[in-house]
Amino acid sequence: MENTNKTGNIRQFKGRSLGQETWRRLLKNRGAVVGMIFMVLLVIVAILAEFIYNYDTDIVAQNSKAIFASPSAAHIFGTDQFGRDIFARILYGARYSLLIGVGSVAFGLVVGMILGALAGFYGGVIDNLVMRANDILYAIPNIMIAVVIVSLLGTTPFSLLLALSISAASSFARIVRAAVMQIRGQEYIESAYAMGLPTWKVILKHIIPNCLSPIIVQVTLAIGSNIIAASSLSFLGVGVAPPMPEWGAMLSDGRPYIRSAPWLCIFPGLAIMVTVLALNLMGDGLRDALDPKLKK
Amino acid sequence: MSENILEVRDLVVHFETDDGVVKAINGLNFSIGREKTLGLVGETGAGKTTTALSILNLVPNPPGKIKSGSILLDGRDVLQMSDKELEQMRGNDVAMIFQDPMTALNPVMTVGDQIAESIQLHQFVSPKDAFEKAKEMLQMVGIAESRAYDYPHQFSGGMRQRVVIAIALACEPKLLLSDEPTTALDVTIQAQVLELMKELIRKRHMSMLLITHDLGVVAESCDDVAVMYAGKIVEIGSADEVFNQTRHPYTEGLFNSLPNLRERGEELIPIKGLMPDPMNLPEGCSFAPRCPYATEACEKQPPELRHMGGTHYVACDAYNDPDFCLRRNSHG
Repeated sequence: MENTNKTGNIRQFKGRSLGQETWRRLLKNRGAVVGMIFMVLLVIVAILAEFIYNYDTDIVAQNSKAIFASPSAAHIFGTDQFGRDIFARILYGARYSLLIGVGSVAFGLVVGMILGALAGFYGGVIDNLVMRANDILYAIPNIMIAVVIVSLLGTTPFSLLLALSISAASSFARIVRAAVMQIRGQEYIESAYAMGLPTWKVILKHIIPNCLSPIIVQVTLAIGSNIIAASSLSFLGVGVAPPMPEWGAMLSDGRPYIRSAPWLCIFPGLAIMVTVLALNLMGDGLRDALDPKLKK
Repeated sequence: MSENILEVRDLVVHFETDDGVVKAINGLNFSIGREKTLGLVGETGAGKTTTALSILNLVPNPPGKIKSGSILLDGRDVLQMSDKELEQMRGNDVAMIFQDPMTALNPVMTVGDQIAESIQLHQFVSPKDAFEKAKEMLQMVGIAESRAYDYPHQFSGGMRQRVVIAIALACEPKLLLSDEPTTALDVTIQAQVLELMKELIRKRHMSMLLITHDLGVVAESCDDVAVMYAGKIVEIGSADEVFNQTRHPYTEGLFNSLPNLRERGEELIPIKGLMPDPMNLPEGCSFAPRCPYATEACEKQPPELRHMGGTHYVACDAYNDPDFCLRRNSHG
């Protein structure tokens, strides 16, 4: 074709898009790279855990011959009061933490983004309704909301996810609203209208893409904080119920034995800490990479 | 097909804020002929941009409200159109060039995509064809088509304004609204951009409403001139009539406050005072408080546009006195 040659020539001049630019800057940030590598490994582990271990025999089955075994070659992280291998349980537990963390943020993001965009774009009565409802949610401690939902729906991973996504939705709604209000007044939005675009296209094609950077950062940070929140709720006994190997629940289980068998608490605690740290490193790196003002 | 591409009749636009009603446009009348360029001149806050937005029926509502009047675009009233008709009209029949090219482009879309967006919206073509057309448009405004894949931050101010012009012209509108298209550019680039716009408009047989407060720009590119003050037209006519046979004291004031190239060192004469608060317009002629010729009668009744010969109209009651003549003209 005649065009092929032309296009081929053009390609080499192609500029770097905002996404490529961000990625390049992100790779320069060592902390963010370490965080990303850890998260990728964790996701792989979480996916593979099911194939490596059998839930019934390796994760929840009791083994009275090997209770409170300290860390050794056979049990890298030791065993707990029922003789269950803590390493296997932590690997398997990554599934719950990641699923609840990512799931609650994803659900919260969708709901929060729709409400926030509507409130920020239309303002007036809609804005007041959404934001005052949001203020009410803000005034109640998240843990209270979670306790109410869990006691209504039972201690399942799903009710925990639902409880956490409510608080995620309210913080996303705030962030999206603020970003939309700022973008809405820009001249290129007016220009998009003058071009004849209908409102929904203006919002989807011009406003939302311009609000993405604060949202992306908040997503990574929110996953981390929701993993902590899920673990705390499990620790308090209103989250994932034993014997499921949720990290917070394991921490709670190990608490009575912390003097004689500290590994029961140390390893689940470390798992939570390292995961959240990795997510926060990623979030900080993204924030710097997405903010052109910090460009060196 | 009506004779004029655009006819604005008795347009009144108010902004109803919590603090009071801002009377932005108070009975505006003008028309633009086919393939003609009308320069709309006035100082900041005179209602120039609101006029342009009204033509697209894009006055921000709330708080803006078009109270009355009609805007006939090619014989059809813009103010009576349904949302769907408006979306079809915007960009296709009438396009707008915004003042600041630094903010008028979406920073996260390539310029090619932004031009193609408008083409795809109004002409039923595939995304690929639209992008090809976008590249042609870029070339037309003097940018290499390979740069269609670049983002706005990779362009200079003058180049961005060229991109904005390419977006506006992409669907070959009949009328182009240019809201101070060169204000944000430096002087050499201004001349280039203006030259480009003039050429494209002539080639494509388009009409233009050129909003500006730069009389030099008007003299260079407009067929007709309308001078706006406090939401009303005070003087309108062909460029020759307004520049060489100035009739309104405000227009005279505008010319007097410009430096004269032939008589360097001459002191500039500014127009004293400020434009009246649009929330609290004077009862009579709104220019009367600043007018050196004002009489008591001027403060009582707002003047109507009166015919001064040719296509020249002026809103000044001083001409009730047949001997009245502006100082500028009496010097000969």
